[in-house]
Amino acid sequence: MKYLVIDDSKLARLSLIKSLKAHIDNAEIFQAVNGEEAVTIVKNEKPNIAFLDLTMPIMDGYTALPLMLDSNPKLKVIVVSADVQEQAKKRVINLGAQLHVQKPINTDKMQDILEII
Amino acid sequence: MQDLSLTEDEQDVLQELMNIAYGNATAVVADMLEAFATLSIPQIKIMKTADLISEFQEKKEISYFFSSQAFSGEFNGETAFFIDEESANNLSTHLELESPEDLDDAILELTNVLTSSLTTKLAQEMETQITFSPPSITKLALNQIQEVDTFKHYSQVIVIETQLDFQEQKINGEIYILTKDGSIQWLKKQLNAILEALI
Repeated sequence: MKYLVIDDSKLARLSLIKSLKAHIDNAEIFQAVNGEEAVTIVKNEKPNIAFLDLTMPIMDGYTALPLMLDSNPKLKVIVVSADVQEQAKKRVINLGAQLHVQKPINTDKMQDILEII
Repeated sequence: MQDLSLTEDEQDVLQELMNIAYGNATAVVADMLEAFATLSIPQIKIMKTADLISEFQEKKEISYFFSSQAFSGEFNGETAFFIDEESANNLSTHLELESPEDLDDAILELTNVLTSSLTTKLAQEMETQITFSPPSITKLALNQIQEVDTFKHYSQVIVIETQLDFQEQKINGEIYILTKDGSIQWLKKQLNAILEALI
């Protein structure tokens, strides 16, 4: 399986990758620091699952999400965000995300995510 | 005065913790106002208080409501919230307030909810505890900012500047977290410990 972790924060990416590796051996993990990079990686590397932050410079998660799904409709996108407003959750689900999960991700939360998807 | 500037990694960690804390605080305020806010990326820097005051004075044409709330603990200081007069009036309209006293009360409650949610979550992420004093409010033009007592207590400040932005209601504000040198040193130690645990 190929995974893509998209977040402008190094801390957030490291934390999420550590949680992911705790559950999955030999995961092939790509990283992007904004939505624009993510769209390119989705097109070129065809990841299966993407963890997407919303508030990022250059291109935010709301803009990137439909572009990523246009490029690969089978991609499963989990939005990982500090924005826990109900409207934000509804908006990303309407845009095609599988889940909206509150930051930060730890190993327990990652286990729940992987079971759901 | 010690140089307490943040390294790139420390800045990244603090920015992410602040993002989490601010997202949490915004959701609480959005519920309170029954509105939806756009989140912005927090801008973080450590600067001399005198330089911060100079920045404020560049905005001197605008009249602001300034409210602040002190917090204490291992990490201690004061949060400052600025809301311009136009936003304050829009808040008044949105909440159907009837008097200037009601508006002061609403801004104080907004400050209390916003800054206590923000700093509580930030402290939780840094595995420490803080307590709060009641918030206070002043209406001033920013060229009078040097007269505000809050700023006289701090030589250097961590400026965590972010926007509270309710676009539909045209309400926006700016939040600052002011801390003293001892807290900045404690904060740097915590940020490095958090990062080292991941590497």
